[in-house]
Amino acid sequence: MIELIGVSKRFGDTTAVDDISLRVERGELCVLVGTSGCGKSTTLRMINRLIEHSDGEIHIDGQQIRDFREETLRRRMGYAIQSTGLFPHWTVARNIGLVPRLLKWPPARIRKRVEELMAMLGLSMEEFAGKYPRQLSGGQAQRVGVARALAADPDILLMDEPFGALDPITRETLQHELRELQSRLQKTIVFVTHDMDEALRLADRLVVMDGGRIRQQGHPLELLREPADAFVESLLGGEDRGLKEAALLTVGERMMPLSPRLLPRERISRHATLREALSMMLWRHAERLAVVDDEDMPVGELSLRQLVGAKHHE
Amino acid sequence: MRASRESESGSSDTEERSKGGVNAEVVNKEVINKEAVNRDSPRPNVVLVSLLLATLVAWSGLDAVSVAPNRIVPGQGHAAWDVAGWPGFLLSLVPMLAVLALAWRPDRRRLRWALGLAVAMLAALPAWLALASARLVDADLPQARMGVGAGVWVALFLLLLALIELRTRLALPRTLGWSLLLVPLASLAAWLTFGLAPLALRQEFLTRRDGFIAAIVEHLLLVGAAVGVSLVLGVLLALAMRRWARCRTLGFAVLNFLQTIPSLALFGLLLAPLAWLGAHVEWLAALGVSGIGAAPALLALVGYSLLPMVRNTFVALDEVDPGVIDAARGMGMSRGQVFRQVRLPLAAPVILEGIRITTVQAIGLTAVAALIGAGGLGTFIFQGLGQAAMDMVLLGALPILVMALIADALLGALTDLTRQGEAT
Ligand SMILES: Nc1ncnc2c1ncn2[C@@H]1O[C@H](COP(=O)(O)OP(=O)(O)OP(=O)(O)O)[C@@H](O)[C@H]1O
Ligand SMILES: [Mg+2]
Repeated sequence: MIELIGVSKRFGDTTAVDDISLRVERGELCVLVGTSGCGKSTTLRMINRLIEHSDGEIHIDGQQIRDFREETLRRRMGYAIQSTGLFPHWTVARNIGLVPRLLKWPPARIRKRVEELMAMLGLSMEEFAGKYPRQLSGGQAQRVGVARALAADPDILLMDEPFGALDPITRETLQHELRELQSRLQKTIVFVTHDMDEALRLADRLVVMDGGRIRQQGHPLELLREPADAFVESLLGGEDRGLKEAALLTVGERMMPLSPRLLPRERISRHATLREALSMMLWRHAERLAVVDDEDMPVGELSLRQLVGAKHHE
Repeated sequence: MRASRESESGSSDTEERSKGGVNAEVVNKEVINKEAVNRDSPRPNVVLVSLLLATLVAWSGLDAVSVAPNRIVPGQGHAAWDVAGWPGFLLSLVPMLAVLALAWRPDRRRLRWALGLAVAMLAALPAWLALASARLVDADLPQARMGVGAGVWVALFLLLLALIELRTRLALPRTLGWSLLLVPLASLAAWLTFGLAPLALRQEFLTRRDGFIAAIVEHLLLVGAAVGVSLVLGVLLALAMRRWARCRTLGFAVLNFLQTIPSLALFGLLLAPLAWLGAHVEWLAALGVSGIGAAPALLALVGYSLLPMVRNTFVALDEVDPGVIDAARGMGMSRGQVFRQVRLPLAAPVILEGIRITTVQAIGLTAVAALIGAGGLGTFIFQGLGQAAMDMVLLGALPILVMALIADALLGALTDLTRQGEAT
């Protein structure tokens, strides 16, 4: 659990972060969004004391972060950044094993942990363990960055645009993997991104920042449906908000049971989003879709009226 | 040579991404170079062709040797055909023409032949000189001396360049390239032992054997001390400059200024204050400090060495990717750990580069230091200049050249070693 209470940060005359309060529960994935220079990275880096906060209090599991030694505090938290910050003179395996080594784990345990993590992130041991960061593609390097952050199994993960500068497909894969990891491992994650779709897809709690202050925070759907002001509304996509919301809802939530009518030919998975369903309708010129389960067995149907009417503001 | 090596590793960089590993790297280099050679094969290798043409011209147009009845009289020049007669001269052209022909339509096999021929020609040069001494030096004149002529010097130089070009084209490893030179060196050693008695350089050496060894030792000691002191001081200064901005501007201003003073003037400037110190401070005098000799030379050498050392160390430490440092601290490394495990190893290649530049520069500058009585190989150069004895100048200059080349190669190889992880 991370708690910020009235935290500010001033660099000389400029106030980078201005009196923010934020609480991230255990197992929660909190995403910070906002325009460039609004203080997201500063907020993140105050939590692991790469930047010392000027005012307020920051607590980790109820304890002030200033009560810890800096190094001890940081070794308890995973930290992943956009440039990956991998050490170019170390192999992938050595990079991943960094924090366990700092924590003086026995070598055998470190080796086992590295193997485990590489498997978890889909990096084959034989192929990648001995490689140097320069020999990796952008996506592979980002995976190694995430693996390194997870290495000592920290309760808290701080991620500053960890999937930046990746193509949309790799990015989506990694987002998916992060969600998977999170549902299994139940970390407390603070995640910074510029990509609103990424933010909406990942967040349990979305925090919109502007000029060093928090404009609004809450569940993504909450913010989409009731934006506090025009800034939040436009940041969340303005006119596109309908589609963004549809991307958060699944077909399974809104489908109707199978009717005696003829089953439509177009099929869609119950786990697909409403946005995907709408796209399929537009593309196939279909008003009704058959909804299927994982075994491709029909379990219901979805009509355009249901899709649209299923939304809350009817 | 440096530039071409870098372009080489640059071109293989992308390939290695996909394969990696030591073996793959070697294989890739082979493949790339085969491709490069194949692509070139219809076209002449311009570098080799021009080098060999120039060698031909120098060999035929310039004096091969000069012979004098004794040390004082200026020598009489002899062309290449005087050395071996017309048939022998024409025969000596054959390997050069052969390399020219091979370079005209180069492929890997032909270039290997060319490499073999170039090494053979280098190895044959001492034999050529021995032939000249047998045919042109009057055996009845024990004082007679033979000097190496411009033609042979130029041919030696151009053939070495050709060797470097061939090594690069064939992508031979550095160590193999260097060991190729062992063949000509062995040949030189053999001929010096068993023949070539009238060779002026050899006679100069024999008359000054003890002085020569002592001079080399002095030279090396001065260079070693200068580089060692400036390394320690340089690293400390660079660290101070990184910490305090004021220190940075001031430090670079002073060091840049030092660098602009001509070396002779700096030696001169140090003369007076050091002479005074030597005369007035007893413990300094006991240490051998005086206006002339090793002390002022060392001071001046350190003064010059400091700038490249500090600049490279500073830049190297300062330009380590801030993202990497940020990550290192974010992972929970202490300041000391960040410096020792991340910043320093990443800076090492550039720091070593600074040491290389400094060492090569100091080897040359130490020659000048002979003027203020510091000893070293420069003594021969200046004495030789004073007596208009070119061979004595060479006796001082050649070892300096060789020392510089060896230092350059060794430190260059060390730099490559430290770079390994990142560059490949
Ligand atoms: N070390 C520093 N010294 C002075 N000002 C700083 C420093 N770090 C950040 N700032 C300022 O604080 C403000 C917030 O910076 P921060 O890096 O947190 O923005 P950000 O939201 O992460 O932006 P981006 O999305 O571009 O990464 C900026 O105006 C920046 O100029
Ligand atoms: Mg940022």
